[in-house]
Amino acid sequence: MNWPVAQLTLRLLLNQKRTVLLAVLALVPVLLAAVFRWGSFEEHPADWASNRLMAQIIVAALLPLAALIFGTAALGSEIDDGTAVYLLAKPIPRWRVVVSKLVVAWLVTVAFVLMATVVAGVLALAGEGHALVVVGFAVAVIAGALAYCTVFLALSVATSRAFLAGLVYVFIWEGLVTGLFEGTRVLSIREYTLGLAGWIASLSPKTFEPELAGGQSLVLLAIVCLVAGWVGVRLLQRFETGESS
Amino acid sequence: MSTAPAPAGGPAARAAIELVDVSRWYGNVVAVNEISFALGPGIAGLLGPNGAGKSTILHMLSGFLRPSAGTIRVLGQPVWKNPSVYREIGLVPEREALYPFLTAFEFVLLGARLHRLPDPEAAAARAIDMVDLRDAQHRAIGGYSKGMKQRVKVAAAIVHDPRILLLDEPFNGADPRQRLHLMDMLRTMAGEGRTIVFSSHILEEVERLAENVLVIIAGRLAAAGDFHTIRRLMTDRPHTFTVRSSDNRRLGAALIAQPSVFGVDLTDGLLTVRAADLAAFAFAAPRVAQTQGIRLFEVRPTDESLESVFSYLVRR
Repeated sequence: MNWPVAQLTLRLLLNQKRTVLLAVLALVPVLLAAVFRWGSFEEHPADWASNRLMAQIIVAALLPLAALIFGTAALGSEIDDGTAVYLLAKPIPRWRVVVSKLVVAWLVTVAFVLMATVVAGVLALAGEGHALVVVGFAVAVIAGALAYCTVFLALSVATSRAFLAGLVYVFIWEGLVTGLFEGTRVLSIREYTLGLAGWIASLSPKTFEPELAGGQSLVLLAIVCLVAGWVGVRLLQRFETGESS
Repeated sequence: MSTAPAPAGGPAARAAIELVDVSRWYGNVVAVNEISFALGPGIAGLLGPNGAGKSTILHMLSGFLRPSAGTIRVLGQPVWKNPSVYREIGLVPEREALYPFLTAFEFVLLGARLHRLPDPEAAAARAIDMVDLRDAQHRAIGGYSKGMKQRVKVAAAIVHDPRILLLDEPFNGADPRQRLHLMDMLRTMAGEGRTIVFSSHILEEVERLAENVLVIIAGRLAAAGDFHTIRRLMTDRPHTFTVRSSDNRRLGAALIAQPSVFGVDLTDGLLTVRAADLAAFAFAAPRVAQTQGIRLFEVRPTDESLESVFSYLVRR
């Protein structure tokens, strides 16, 4: 971890316009939970909170979007505008740059998504006795955020179109393809996150049943983080700036 | 080719920067073609038209491009995939982009901290003073002019007191006063034994600053040496002029007899003269006209652009 790089990255991420947009989006699950709480709905609160609120809104949309915004911007924005040179032309091993940027992107992502997860979860389930749902999804979101951020950060070193590529991954691959072809779910960070959440929340299959087992999800999350992190470092070690840049 | 004064033990033995048969290509496009040179302390200018390969050479020298062939060593070390070499390298990239939300002081301080200097605040203050930016140091860079941004970049590059300074078009956007200040600063740094390499497509900048000149054209090292050598090469080349006078035909016939002229051409009444020696022709032309009783209206060089000078050096 390199503190100057981390501090710079934090200011970089908090200064971008997309962060404001994300802060607004993070309020959506909270508002929906409030509507559910004070509205009159037939669905059981634990069912709704785990399947709709957590799985479909937070894990499927807010988490990958936040990770995409912060993961690609943490280093990618500097690579795109040429300022990365000011960090890379320093006697710092490139892996330290990657790790510092990743940690900040991850923590900022977690700050937004975890806040939404906990506040919305507590709102939806207060007095219902399903605290583990909130705990399970909170832990899963933290782990999922790390995997997403690592992948998107590596992607931002690999291509200047990382944001677009990330959107395709999240909304086409995870949102569409893994729904159509069961075998592709082992290649989905969303499914790992849901598997881990279900494992920790210990809900009955009737209430919430993820596609992947908890242990399997945890191992796959770790593998994704390690492989994507290694790829990101490798790419940055061989980073070249062209004539056009 | 070594453009540095040959030190005892051979030029390569103490060269701060050494390129041997370095090439870089992008697919089928050759950006830099088998360039070799060695540089010692002092200021060297990479001179060439836009797109000649100057930036590619600087990118390779700074470890941001891998040579497709050949070897590059800076202070005896490879630069590619070797971040530790940046302890001794300061880099001023051509791109203007900086962190707009940082002040100049914060930006230079960031560099000092990344270099793990023992007293980063003092180092940043010293570098800011050197580029004469103290009054604006606490303003956000986003509001800076192009010339001020250029000075911030230089301050960040020198904050760790590097032995090698690489600058890509450092005078872009600088006003004349800033330009002179920066030139003085670079001369002082070079006088302290540092090796400074800068690129420019402007002949006068190189002439005023560089002790050694490397002329890069179409990715090749077309000429190298001290500026007087390069200037002589440029001046001694054949020059072509168009001449307007009261009697072009008679003037052409008289001029061809001059030893400095080796060709005349009269097409549609337009007289074109090719001279081997610029100074001798400049001296002879008005005298010949006067002797012949011909009024000379205009003598215009047709190929004085830097590109045409460069083209000549390549063909030479």
